[in-house]
Amino acid sequence: MAVTTANSEAQLQQTSTVADRWRAVRYLFLAFMALWLLFTLFPLYFMVITAFKSAAETNLTVPTFWPNEWFPQNFAGVFAEATNFNALVDSFIIATANTALALFLGSLAGYAFARFPKQAGGENLAFWILSNRMFPPVAILVPMFFLFDNTPWGTDSHLSLIILYLVFNLPLATWLMMVFFRDAPREIEEAAYLDGWTPMKAFVRVTLPLVLPGMISVAMLCWIFAWNEYLFANLFVGTDVRTYTIVIPTFTHGSQTLWNLQMAFSLIAMIPPVTMFILLRRYMVRGLSLGVVKG
Amino acid sequence: MARLEVEGICKGWDFPVIDDLSFSVEEGEFFVIVGPSGIGKTTLLRLISGLETPDQGVVRVGGRDMTALPPYRRRIAMTFESYALYPHMTVYENIASPLRARKAATSEIDERVRSVANLLRIEQLLQRKPGEVSGGQKQRTALGRTLVADPEVFLLDEPISHLDAKIRHELRTQFHALEDLRRVATVYVTHDYAEALSLGDRIGVMGAGGQLEQVGAPRDLFERPDNIAVARHMGQPTINVIAARLKRRDGGMRVDAAEGTLSFRIDDSHAPLFERYTKDDVTVGLRPQFLRPVKDGQTAADTIEAEVDIFEPLGASGIMLAKSGGVRLTALTDPEAHYDAGDRVTLAVSTDRFHFFDAVTGRNLAGSA
Repeated sequence: MAVTTANSEAQLQQTSTVADRWRAVRYLFLAFMALWLLFTLFPLYFMVITAFKSAAETNLTVPTFWPNEWFPQNFAGVFAEATNFNALVDSFIIATANTALALFLGSLAGYAFARFPKQAGGENLAFWILSNRMFPPVAILVPMFFLFDNTPWGTDSHLSLIILYLVFNLPLATWLMMVFFRDAPREIEEAAYLDGWTPMKAFVRVTLPLVLPGMISVAMLCWIFAWNEYLFANLFVGTDVRTYTIVIPTFTHGSQTLWNLQMAFSLIAMIPPVTMFILLRRYMVRGLSLGVVKG
Repeated sequence: MARLEVEGICKGWDFPVIDDLSFSVEEGEFFVIVGPSGIGKTTLLRLISGLETPDQGVVRVGGRDMTALPPYRRRIAMTFESYALYPHMTVYENIASPLRARKAATSEIDERVRSVANLLRIEQLLQRKPGEVSGGQKQRTALGRTLVADPEVFLLDEPISHLDAKIRHELRTQFHALEDLRRVATVYVTHDYAEALSLGDRIGVMGAGGQLEQVGAPRDLFERPDNIAVARHMGQPTINVIAARLKRRDGGMRVDAAEGTLSFRIDDSHAPLFERYTKDDVTVGLRPQFLRPVKDGQTAADTIEAEVDIFEPLGASGIMLAKSGGVRLTALTDPEAHYDAGDRVTLAVSTDRFHFFDAVTGRNLAGSA
C-alpha cells in the first residue's frame, strides 16, 4: 500500500513538471505571436498614419508615430488627376478578368488531372504546370515583353496583362483545384450518373458545388496576385492602360517623394481586397479545410 | 420484361477480380449476392451499372445489350455503401434528382418524391440536408433516390451493413414490404448471411475466385452447400469443420479426427455418399446447432465429452467454444444455460446432420443439389 502511494506521488510530481513545461512552451509561443503581430501590423499602422500626415511631416528625420496635424485632404489629393481613379478601374478589370479565366481553365484542367490522370497526361504534366510558378518572374520579363509587343493588341493593353498573369495564376488554380476535386468523393458524382445526369451536368450540379468553397479561396488568391502585380505592369503598360501599382510611384514633387499621397492611395487600393476577404472569409476557411468537412 | 443477364463477365486490374461470372435475375426477383468483404461484390455491381467497363462479357437488361452504354443511359439504379448523397442538397432534392435528370414535370416530381418519402417514413425530413439526419435516415434517402427513378434493375450495395442492429432489422423487414422492389430485377450485395437468407429469393455465394460458388434458394445453400467455402459462409456461428479419416466397418462407419482423439459414429443415412468415394481422408462439417450440451438427467444416442473454453451467453441462445479430444468445437446451447470455462460437458451429436467434403477439393460429397 505504502509503495503504491509513493509511486503515485512520484507520478503526480512527474505530471506536474510536464504541465509546467507545457505552460512555459505556451508562454513562449504567446510571446512569439505578440512579436509576430507587431512585425506584421506595424507597417500597416505606419501606412495608415502616414496617409494622414502632411508632406513636411513625412520627411522629418525623427519620424512621428502619431500625426502632429491631420491631413485628410491627402485623399482628395491623390484624385487631383482624374486618370488616377481610372488606374484603380484598370487594375480591377485586369484582376477580375484574369481571375475568371484562371478559374475557368484551372477548374477544367484540375478536374481532368484529378479524375482522368492517365488521359490528362499524368502527374508529370500536372507537375510541369505547377513548376511554371517556380522560376523567378524576372527571368521571363524581357522575352514576354517582346512576345506581347508582337501581338495585334500590343503590350499596353488590358488583354496583355490578363493573359500574361495566367502564367502565374493558372498553375496555382489548376493545382489547387486538382487537390479539391480529388477530395470530393467520386461516388457522389457516380450517383449522379446513375440518376441519369451526363458527366457535364453532373459536374455542374454536384461536383462544382462541392468544391465551391475551395474555388472561392483560389479566386481570392488569384485576384490578389493580379491586383498587386507591379513588375510586369511597370514594363508593359503606362499610356493607354495604367494599373494602380504603377501609379503609386508617380506621387513625387521634384526629387521629393510624397509619402503621404503614396500611402493614401495605397490605403484606397487596399479597400477592394479587404472588403472581398471579409465578405468571403467564411468560404475561405471552409475551402482551406475542405477535405475535413466533407460528407 | 426486364430480366437482367450477366454473361461471362471478367474484370481485373493488376489481378483478376471477377472471372467469367454469369447469372441472371428475373423481373421481380430479389437476388442476393453474399460473400466476404473485398471479394469483388461491389465491382460486380459497378460493372452491371456501367460505372466500370468489363474486360470481357455482356450485361443485358430485357434482352438488350447494355455493355457499351454509359451509366446515365441505362435504366439501372444503385445505392452505394457510402450512401453517396449530395451533401449540398436537401433530402427532397436528393430524392428528386433522377426525376429532374429526365426533366419530369414539377407536379409529378413533387408527387413521386412525397409518395416515396411516405413509403420510407422520411417525409418529415424532406427539407433537411443529409448532414442533419441519422445514418438510417441517410440510407432511406439513398433508397428513396433509387426507388423514385422507376428503373428496370435495382442494385443495392450493402445497404444496411453500417447501421446498428435494431435499425438494420427494421430496414430488413421494410425491404420485404417494398412492393416497388418486387416489380424489377434486384441485385442485393451483402456480407451478412442472415440478410441473404432473410431477403433473397435466390442467393449467390461469391468466392475468392471471382465467381459464384453456388447459386440457389436460401434453404438449399444452408442445407446443401456445394463446398466448404459456402458452408463456412452461411451460418453463424460458423460451421465446425474437422479434417478426419473414414473408418469403414461392417454394419457402420466412423470418422476419426485427423489430429487428436475425437471420433464420431456416422448415421447410416449417410452411407450412400461413400459408395463412389474411395479415399479415406474426408472433411467433416457439423453446424453448431447439431452439437448441443446434454442436460442432467437426459440421455442422447451419440455423445462426446468436452471441456468448455469460452462461453458466450447471447440471450436467445448461447455459444460454447469447447475442446474435445484435442479438437476445438463450437456448440449452441439453450438460452437459460450457463457454463464456465473449464466445465466438463457432454455434447449430443446429431449424427444424421453431417456434411462431408472432399478433403482436397472441398466439394460436397453429396454433389450439388
